[in-house]
Amino acid sequence: MVMSRIQKIPVVEEKKGNPLARVFDDLVRFCRSRSLFILHYCTGCGAIELPPAMTSRFDMERLGIQPMVSPRQADILLITGYVSIKTLKRVILTYEQMGSPKYVVGICSCTVNGGMYWQSYATAKKLDEYMPVDLYIAGCMPRPEAVISGLQKLMDRIKSGEADSWQDYYQNYDYYLGNQQKLFGEDWQTPTDIITEAKHYELMGEGTLGEHTRLLEQHQNPLEALEMRLGHNIKEPIE
Amino acid sequence: MPALSKASFLEHSHSSADPKLKNKRNDMRPENYEAQRQPPSNEYELNFGPNHPGIEGNYALKVKLHGDIVLEAKADGGYLHRGFEKLMEQRLWIQNIALVPRICVPDPSPMELCYSMAVEELCGLKVPQRAQWLRVMQLELSRIAAHLFTFGGHAATTGMYSTMYWGVADRDLLLDLFEEFTGGRVYSIYNIPGGVRRELPDGFLQRLTETLDYIESRLPDYDNLFFKNQVFVKRAKGTGVMSREQALEWGVTGPNLRATGLAFDVRRDDPYLVYDQLEFDIPVEESGDAWARTLVRRKELMESIRILRQVVEILPDIHGPIRAPIPNPLAWNVPAGETYTRVESSKGELCYYVVSNGGPKPYRVHVRGPSSMHAVQVLEKMSVGSRIEDIAQTMFSLDACPPEVDR
Repeated sequence: MVMSRIQKIPVVEEKKGNPLARVFDDLVRFCRSRSLFILHYCTGCGAIELPPAMTSRFDMERLGIQPMVSPRQADILLITGYVSIKTLKRVILTYEQMGSPKYVVGICSCTVNGGMYWQSYATAKKLDEYMPVDLYIAGCMPRPEAVISGLQKLMDRIKSGEADSWQDYYQNYDYYLGNQQKLFGEDWQTPTDIITEAKHYELMGEGTLGEHTRLLEQHQNPLEALEMRLGHNIKEPIE
Repeated sequence: MPALSKASFLEHSHSSADPKLKNKRNDMRPENYEAQRQPPSNEYELNFGPNHPGIEGNYALKVKLHGDIVLEAKADGGYLHRGFEKLMEQRLWIQNIALVPRICVPDPSPMELCYSMAVEELCGLKVPQRAQWLRVMQLELSRIAAHLFTFGGHAATTGMYSTMYWGVADRDLLLDLFEEFTGGRVYSIYNIPGGVRRELPDGFLQRLTETLDYIESRLPDYDNLFFKNQVFVKRAKGTGVMSREQALEWGVTGPNLRATGLAFDVRRDDPYLVYDQLEFDIPVEESGDAWARTLVRRKELMESIRILRQVVEILPDIHGPIRAPIPNPLAWNVPAGETYTRVESSKGELCYYVVSNGGPKPYRVHVRGPSSMHAVQVLEKMSVGSRIEDIAQTMFSLDACPPEVDR
């Protein structure tokens, strides 16, 4: 089955009547681009060039970019290198937990087309089949200067309002979910309800609902309370 | 359905006749969730990683805790699995050179050397003297860089971020040297079967000496900031202790083994390259805890600098080719046979088992990395009984390398 991706609908900035509102939007975007928090998740070997980029020699902090440990407070998801299928599940869970607006940057050639591991049975080859990517930084591995320059480009795109791939995830959720189902099985589901979120953000597009989301509803189990695997069964009555 | 208040939930929960409460979604309501999640004891389970600032790389531990004391730990790897051993069977002998350094990211040079040595042994190639000295230089530079990185990571787990900033910045000077003489900053694909790829640039040894002088002059600062710091000493002493018998039983090698008092080093006990012509000591500590392991690395740094100074002295007098003649690499049928080579990497003993059936590609390559012992079985056993905040420290003091565990 060939899945065709629905063309992204260009978001046209409506010229609002109130010029003050436009100025306010620009101001918000400027502030957003000047305070970026990178989620501290080292998915692959490109992570080895992040400590030099963050610490005193290249010093990413002078641009207002800092690492952040929790996905709820992070803005940027850096995919540093290849993602094995086991990691990709965690990456998608993490991505869906992040608050909007969120940006994905794929570092290293492996996120673009599989790179060195194009033959491997264990890695996901193209990252943008599973989640929308704002920016790729190619290279094996890119130098700290390249990482910083890429992030500067991302800042410019945020400032001008071009970096809006997080909207694409809601508008074309069916496409991404289909690819995820192809990799993880038909009963793949995440704790986050993307369709409700899309309604909330008013981002229901033509590609939000489709055959894959119908399959999701069919297989969707209500989430149960977490069970202890190593210890006692907490479902036993408490005495 | 309307939201239930907490009081009404408690009232209704005893009457199981209410069909609405049998709805599974109802269990997820916050008020019900809390009431049901009360465990019957004080034990609980926690996921430590893969997305955690204290873990080294993309790796996870599932820990069972009582308060903050670890009762049980299970390693959860496989996040970095790429199937190297299978990939290497599908590529030419020479193509694998680009693949092998990716197995261990912080210390890639021993990987390419060990693979090259295996192929040389199968083909009966004799490596020229100058190439052997250049290889020693690359290995020791890589060891210093890896140890500086480990100090940084270890210091960060005890809350001392300045040491991390210093360690990473000083490691960068070594990466500059790597870039100059191999062309690659992190992955220096410098060794090929038969020798090395490039001759040294002009004036390189001078710049190497300057960098070594600088790093040596920094070591007293590191001592004052980190190794003599009471925050570090008090936390590291007595953390993650293993005896010599346990270490031998668990397959521990490298600095972790030497920290238990056994002076075993492949460089001295099974010499490869020109290590038998070099003077260096094997630093040993007795106590076998995190403090001893870090101190062994600190002393090894000095020994590596000592080796590099000898290389700088001897290298200009050794002339000759840097590569033995090899057949056309694209149609290179390595003679059938099997071999097992080992080198001392900064993490421990690294071995390659290579089988050839006389074809253009390897029949089987097995990598015995030191971290697969350290990060799985040793870490699992050492974490038991320690406190949760010491798990990260134990892992960094073992210098485990997750990409090498998963391969």
